[in-house]
Amino acid sequence: MKFKFDGVGRYIPILVIALVFGVLLGLQWKSPPARPATVPGIGHESGVLAIKRLEAEQEGLKESIGQLRGQLDKYRRELAASTEMLKEINAELERQKMIAGLLAVEGPGVQVTLDDSSIRSVSAAADASDYLIHEYDLRDVVNLLWMAGSEAIAVNNERIVATTSIYCVGSTIMVNDTRLSPPYLIQAIGNPIVQEDVLRNPAYLKEIKQRAELYSVQFKVDRQGMLTLPAYKGGFPIHYAQLGD
Amino acid sequence: MKSRSAQLSLTILCFLLGLLLVAQFRTQQMSGNSLLAASSDDQLVIISSLVENNARLRGEMEALEKQLNEYQQATGRARLEALVEELNKVRIINGLVEVSGFGVEVSLDGPIGVLDVQDLINELRNAGAEALTINGERLTLYSVIASTEDGVMTINGTQLSRPYILQAIGDAETMETALLRGGGLIATLTRNYEGLIVGVIKRERMVLPVYKGDIKFVYASLIE
Repeated sequence: MKFKFDGVGRYIPILVIALVFGVLLGLQWKSPPARPATVPGIGHESGVLAIKRLEAEQEGLKESIGQLRGQLDKYRRELAASTEMLKEINAELERQKMIAGLLAVEGPGVQVTLDDSSIRSVSAAADASDYLIHEYDLRDVVNLLWMAGSEAIAVNNERIVATTSIYCVGSTIMVNDTRLSPPYLIQAIGNPIVQEDVLRNPAYLKEIKQRAELYSVQFKVDRQGMLTLPAYKGGFPIHYAQLGD
Repeated sequence: MKSRSAQLSLTILCFLLGLLLVAQFRTQQMSGNSLLAASSDDQLVIISSLVENNARLRGEMEALEKQLNEYQQATGRARLEALVEELNKVRIINGLVEVSGFGVEVSLDGPIGVLDVQDLINELRNAGAEALTINGERLTLYSVIASTEDGVMTINGTQLSRPYILQAIGDAETMETALLRGGGLIATLTRNYEGLIVGVIKRERMVLPVYKGDIKFVYASLIE
């Protein structure tokens, strides 16, 4: 076919140029990074090292606290055997400690798995945060599990207690001041039928379920015949609250 | 070509098409939640929270060692006192005893969602709240702010009416700062809810009642 510089054909080169120009301009236009840029170099690496070192220390301290509490409990039981009154008080202490999450427990329940999307590369127009699990997602699931009558909950083996807060530093989720890494396993002892019912109810966790569908964020619910949840290993600092009025 | 304006719009269309094409093909890498992906600022926050937490854990360890020592040396009465003291501390944490102390009072008047009130409670706990109530109902680990089908907020099964008053015993300074900081939770809430009035007052002394419900275990049992 002979190319003619008249009629419609005359405009084709202009259109092609406009298209190319658009592409070039588009390439020029940079989208902001999805998260704050990291500062490379020694500062960053040593930061990672410091965190690892502190976490090792944290792990050791929790271990010692767990052992000391076990020793104390054993000692108290021995003492309690001596008099009726001590026995009674010790039984009440044991009950209160179970309520507080200071003792390891077992029972049936559910395990909820939450994980960031497996999609590692997304279009610039997309919001990267849609593909990640956030601290408020964990909070919403934990609250819903309490609502479903759960009796004990742990996230990645960190027991949820009255003073627990689930927060984030940048994209890192912290529970009981302990850094969690995905996948997040939320284990809850309770009636598995009720728990699963509430978790699957479309009225709840709408946002997570929607992101699971659209962005392949993982949200999985599995019934468990027997779960074992560890005791809380941190302290309960009480400095301001006093008994009675 | 019928008119110059038709040519012009076709040209613009092609130009936009080019832009869109790029937007479509340009991708961003997801860095995920790894430590190396955290910014230096975030690392610093993680480091300082770990340092603080480890100090608290060391304090707890020393207290436990002291307790163990006391048990071993003390005689009848002292042992009983140590046991009762430990019991009372856990009761305070559990919300199963009346407590008093300094703290903050947060009032919420206007529209607000259940999850946001739950976030506010999380924020107060994060700032070291030791005992909490909402409209006079003591919060326990197991308490959840929920809502009835008609949208009435409930706590421990009791319906709540506006204004919602949260009382928290703890370090008032820390709690107030955490709530009121720029870009903090209250700033976000007042931006998101038109007509929501939030007040934060430091209180010299508050008395928080005991949780009136019963906490029972049907499914969980102690590991022997």
